[in-house]
Amino acid sequence: MLTSRALVRGFKIGFWRPLSSTSSLQAVHGKDMSADVLDCTAPQYNNRLDTPLPDVPFVRKLNSEQKQLKDKEKGPWTKLTKDEKIALYRLTHELSFPEMRKGSDEWKSVLGGVFIFLGLSGVLVWWQRVYVFGEVPHTLSEEWVEKQTQRMLDMRVNPIGGFSYYWDYEKKQWK
Amino acid sequence: MAHPSQLGFQDAASPVMEELLHFHDHALMIVILISTLVLYIIVAMVSTKLTNKYILDSQEIEIVWTVLPAVILILIALPSLRILYLMDEINDPHLTIKAMGHQWYWSYEYTDYENLGFDSYMIPTQDLLPGQFRLLETDHRMVVPVESPIRILVSAEDVLHSWAVPSMGIKMDAVPGRLNQTAFVTSRPGLFYGQCSEICGANHSFMPIVIEAVPLEHFEKWSTVMLQDA
Repeated sequence: MLTSRALVRGFKIGFWRPLSSTSSLQAVHGKDMSADVLDCTAPQYNNRLDTPLPDVPFVRKLNSEQKQLKDKEKGPWTKLTKDEKIALYRLTHELSFPEMRKGSDEWKSVLGGVFIFLGLSGVLVWWQRVYVFGEVPHTLSEEWVEKQTQRMLDMRVNPIGGFSYYWDYEKKQWK
Repeated sequence: MAHPSQLGFQDAASPVMEELLHFHDHALMIVILISTLVLYIIVAMVSTKLTNKYILDSQEIEIVWTVLPAVILILIALPSLRILYLMDEINDPHLTIKAMGHQWYWSYEYTDYENLGFDSYMIPTQDLLPGQFRLLETDHRMVVPVESPIRILVSAEDVLHSWAVPSMGIKMDAVPGRLNQTAFVTSRPGLFYGQCSEICGANHSFMPIVIEAVPLEHFEKWSTVMLQDA
């Protein structure tokens, strides 16, 4: 019982508190988490191929160096160096178009996971067949199936497109 | 009966089943066409590079995808209704047989001329002769003359059962206190198997139906022998 209490406490401190946004917890930690909390009524930044000009720039709080760059931007753009132009782009956008289109290697992990679980299921099925299931009925022995098949052919089971259709009654063999 | 690992319907042993097979092919083709179209559209939408999604309305395509499904439904409904009414046609049967469902066997009564009645129990697996079909064989089969219209009156003595023979396209519920009528014509001689199709207790899976379609002379000999044995 003491172990479970320790476990619950550890879970609360290690896992729950960092994720919780309850303001009383925030006050305890002295952290102002409001900046990180998403206000869905205000315009947000997004990286999407179909909205090339997001509602707000990516970096909103500019430090003094960035403020200087922004002032330089108010002048003629031909005076900006290539690095400054890229820096200005990175201020207003998080990802460029090629970066957005890149995609990831996640599909490999997903496919691998799927194969692992398929394999586990296969192992489970095999194990069941060997260690759990009883004997099959005697009507599945080779001898019985032979006699049964012959009987099905004799009684012309599915003669049009199914079973007896594929038997050549003259040559006594499958077509 | 079905052959091993069979996926589709059994070959038709009656004209009604032939009609059902053709209708099934027709409906399935329509379903496959629609599914292929939808799958193609989904793949095209997911893999497009186009990004303008702000189309608001378009009358032409709305008309198309309202009228076209209606037309397709009519194309399915007309053959379906045709078969439905075909199955209910007056067919002047040569013979009337009563199939009564019990827990857990069928009993057949041929009462047109004499009083012939017998029970039809499944042959247990350990009593099968080599080559017989497990869970399908019965000790007494329902013998009928081939290529003759037969009327079957299906009912039950205790709980719900259902008298079904897939190769003839027959399934009729056996309701206690009710007589359900169905009819069939066997196109070819042979043995046609079916199984009880309404859950009826512990041995629901073990009360099969076997129809033996034979030429009329054989049928007459059989019914004489059965009457003598009774």
